[in-house]
Amino acid sequence: MTLDYSQQHLIKMANQIAGNMPSRENVPAQIVQHMAQFWTPPMRADLKKIAENAPDSFSDDVLAALALQD
Amino acid sequence: MNKPIEIAIEDLDLGTPATLSESTVTVHIDGNAVDVPAGTSIMRAASLAGTQIPKLCATDSLDAFGSCRLCLVEVEGRKGTPASCTTPCEDGMSVKTQTTRLDKLRKGVMELYISDHPLDCLTCSANGDCELQDMAGVVGLRSVRYEEGSNHLAASTDNSNPYFSFDASKCIVCSRCVRACSEVQGTFALTIAARGFESKVSPSEENAFLDSECVSCGACVQACPTATLQEKQVINLGVPTRKVKTTCAYCGVGCSFVAELRGDELVRMVPDKHGGANSGHSCVKGRFAWGYATHSDRITRPLVRETTDSEWREVDWPEAIAFAADRFKAIQQQHGIDALGGITSSRCTNEEVYVVQKMVRASLRTNNVDTCARVCHSPTGYGLKQTFGTSAGTQDFASVQKADVIMVIGANPTDAHPVFGSRMKRRLREGAKLIVIDPRSIDLVQSPHIKATEHLQLQPGTNVAVVNALAHVIATEGWIDEAFVQERCDVASFNAWRRFITLSENSPESLAEVSGVPAEAIRSAAATYAKAGNGAIYYGLGVTEHSQGSTMVMAMANLAMATGNIGRDGVGVNPLRGQNNVQGACDMGSFPHEFSGYRHVSDDTVREQFTALWGVDLREEPGMRIPNMLDAAVSGQFRGIYIQGEDIAQSDPNSQHVADALNAMDCVIVQDLFLNETSKFAHVFLPGTSFLEKDGTFTNAERRINRVRPVVPPASGMAEWQVTCALSEAMGYAMDYASASEIMDEIAALTPTFAGVSFDLLDELGSIQWPCNEQAPEGTPIMHAQRFVRGEGQFITTPYVPTDERSTRKFPLLLTTGRILSQYNVGAQTRRTDNTVWHAEDILEIHEADAELRGVSDGDWIEVASRAGSTRMRAHISSDIPAGVVYTTFHHPVSGTNVITTDNSDWATNCPEYKVTAVEIRPSSAIAVGM
Ligand code: SF4
Ligand code: SF4
Ligand code: SF4
Ligand code: FES
Repeated sequence: MTLDYSQQHLIKMANQIAGNMPSRENVPAQIVQHMAQFWTPPMRADLKKIAENAPDSFSDDVLAALALQD
Repeated sequence: MNKPIEIAIEDLDLGTPATLSESTVTVHIDGNAVDVPAGTSIMRAASLAGTQIPKLCATDSLDAFGSCRLCLVEVEGRKGTPASCTTPCEDGMSVKTQTTRLDKLRKGVMELYISDHPLDCLTCSANGDCELQDMAGVVGLRSVRYEEGSNHLAASTDNSNPYFSFDASKCIVCSRCVRACSEVQGTFALTIAARGFESKVSPSEENAFLDSECVSCGACVQACPTATLQEKQVINLGVPTRKVKTTCAYCGVGCSFVAELRGDELVRMVPDKHGGANSGHSCVKGRFAWGYATHSDRITRPLVRETTDSEWREVDWPEAIAFAADRFKAIQQQHGIDALGGITSSRCTNEEVYVVQKMVRASLRTNNVDTCARVCHSPTGYGLKQTFGTSAGTQDFASVQKADVIMVIGANPTDAHPVFGSRMKRRLREGAKLIVIDPRSIDLVQSPHIKATEHLQLQPGTNVAVVNALAHVIATEGWIDEAFVQERCDVASFNAWRRFITLSENSPESLAEVSGVPAEAIRSAAATYAKAGNGAIYYGLGVTEHSQGSTMVMAMANLAMATGNIGRDGVGVNPLRGQNNVQGACDMGSFPHEFSGYRHVSDDTVREQFTALWGVDLREEPGMRIPNMLDAAVSGQFRGIYIQGEDIAQSDPNSQHVADALNAMDCVIVQDLFLNETSKFAHVFLPGTSFLEKDGTFTNAERRINRVRPVVPPASGMAEWQVTCALSEAMGYAMDYASASEIMDEIAALTPTFAGVSFDLLDELGSIQWPCNEQAPEGTPIMHAQRFVRGEGQFITTPYVPTDERSTRKFPLLLTTGRILSQYNVGAQTRRTDNTVWHAEDILEIHEADAELRGVSDGDWIEVASRAGSTRMRAHISSDIPAGVVYTTFHHPVSGTNVITTDNSDWATNCPEYKVTAVEIRPSSAIAVGM
């Protein structure tokens, strides 16, 4: 799947959030909470779609967070 | 003839500054008893009692000097005639200010002055505004007995400064200018050269003002009692005849000014001595650089065009509003309501910002509203809210006067916040210690009578590593203020933080290599701060504009809490805000996830209050931030934007991406003073108002709400908030306000921290620091005094995560950006003033070793390339930066600094990482532009 600029940006943002979460405990839950607070629903939905097609682009914590959102 | 301005009692010059003593003494001035604080001069006591003692060398902004001998008085029981400006009152003292002996002595003094002064009062530009002339009248001098002898009447005039002239023939060598430059401004540019009759005022080493160290703050001009130092505007236009109190619209210091006019023509801006933020001082921008407001480039009639390659068409207001509304409605119909959004401006008033975010939320029915503060202080919002509970600096500016150790991180106060910089320098000269954490050797590191105790010259991008290392030392050396932590903070979060910070990975030794700061320097700085007594942190964009900007804000908050440096005078964590109303724009609900007062849109109780007052259902999900809007525009989902007073095509990172995004939109509305880079992509241009035309409030970096009063009517015929309201109404949602004051009333009704604020109270008190409510009816200078806004202070662990932006073989240097004193932001205003004499272009500073390696000499044109783009500018070899780092400013569009900055951003807030870009430099001919 070729990713456009905004998709690449979403991936980068998500991975960066995962990498910077202050507490290393329960990072996926923190990511979910952060995205609920600061991301629009379409951004979250887009991220999920990208992850389905290009899971390799994401850190494990982001993938776990997306699984939690189900 | 114009009548001179009447001086209100509170504006009287009392001769000497107030003393801070709490005990009082009673003195009798010409028989009238007056109580004054101990240590008050006789001159000031007399003034307070209603008697003005003649004076020349004294003024109440400067310490008494006692050189002119005009202020002599008689004190019962004492011999001689002491100078009243240098003699403190003693309890029971009885003073005579008017006797025949004193009259005679004063006349003699005046006679000497006048004998060496040009007798051209009637044609002098200061006629009616000259203390020498006034004093001659006061002492009743009618004639001069001396024959013409040696004098200074032929001395020359220095016109080199663009804003003021120095006519040495009129100088009475009272030294007020010299003292203003040292005591108030702290630049020490002036001296009295030579002695006796030969003595004269001289800018450093007898240079012309422009070539000296003078930073053109104008304090000397204001202090000068004669026409020697005088604004060129006054010389050209004559002395002012009316005045209006208002607030500077440049930086986040928020200086109060008295605008002095003749009719509708502004003659000069005089800093207000009652100004809460500035106490009578100013910098070159606020005092002098306001000519842009009447610049011929100003657009004062609305413009529209079908496509961005067609010509602009001047239209009237109704047509412009209808055009904009039609376009916006068409977008909504075709692409849905989330295809629109707005950006509010930190340069606009609280009221103007509030109505824009209200229009977006209530009329456009989306939460796609963001503010230009996204690109500067959004990490402050995030970090301070998480730790302390609200997004605001903890102190008032005056608090710095009580600090024992001042830590300046990623800020350059003498250039970017000059009036606060002067205040800080005064405290440093009094002996407070200074720690500077910055890749660059900023002025404060070493300036007259100031030397930093420590300068931690870190690699760009390693702030968190350095602050973690400082905290590690404090925690492992046992310097934690355990009592404060136990009493005021969330102890579980503290314990988790302590476990984290004491890990060996956070030790100064472990982090020395990555940060470039020797471990001993960190250990010594940690001791200085932890044992300070009062330790105060001041920070700027060098903290926030990083991929770990938010983490860094929390790391500083941890440090302050761990050492108990929160909640009283002299301590705190203080963001120095870039633009004038960054604090206000954030307070007013400009972020897509928050209503005014930093309350999340998902909070049902809060949303219901807004719904009830605004009469419309509001969305409970956050909207898009600026970078999200731009991304969505490029992918075709976001189609129209309202941009209030901000030039995002120049100020935002990765200019090419911004341009692509704006180009992809069907309707870009720009509300601004001038056509700019962003308006090249616009379909509608709505003329804005300059600060001289605005009616409203700005909130400065210390949460101080200041009134901005209209000095002249809006050039476009409409206030900016009226234009926004008109568009909102055309979109189907009416916002009816009769005045800006009504908008503030609504803000107060909906925002708990503003509950007590009104224009009436502001007029009464002068200014108010929020929170202002029932508990604090006159505002809150110092926050978190008894408890944190969130209850207990929250420690948050702050692991250092290196930025992705690293130097590579292809881009081996790290570029960092900053500001200089004379220019402001993207320069739209200051470039349209004579401030360009100090900074005509952006220059790249480069270390000698890096320059030599690349064959670059001082002054050469060079090419700066990053992975995002490339641009050209001139190089300056500088020892202020370490090898491997280069530095530039972003004040001129031609240099296109943001062509090279990347889309890296803060992990939590998307604040762009302006402070770190990997670049390569080559002599200009070696690579092509735009590569
Ligand atoms: S303008 Fe300011 S810096 Fe310049 S000489 Fe006067 S007081 Fe000093
Ligand atoms: S320039 Fe003005 S303030 Fe300075 S010594 Fe001369 S008269 Fe006094
Ligand atoms: S310090 Fe800032 S607010 Fe004060 S005059 Fe200068 S630019 Fe204006
Ligand atoms: S005013 Fe007191 S000596 Fe000059």
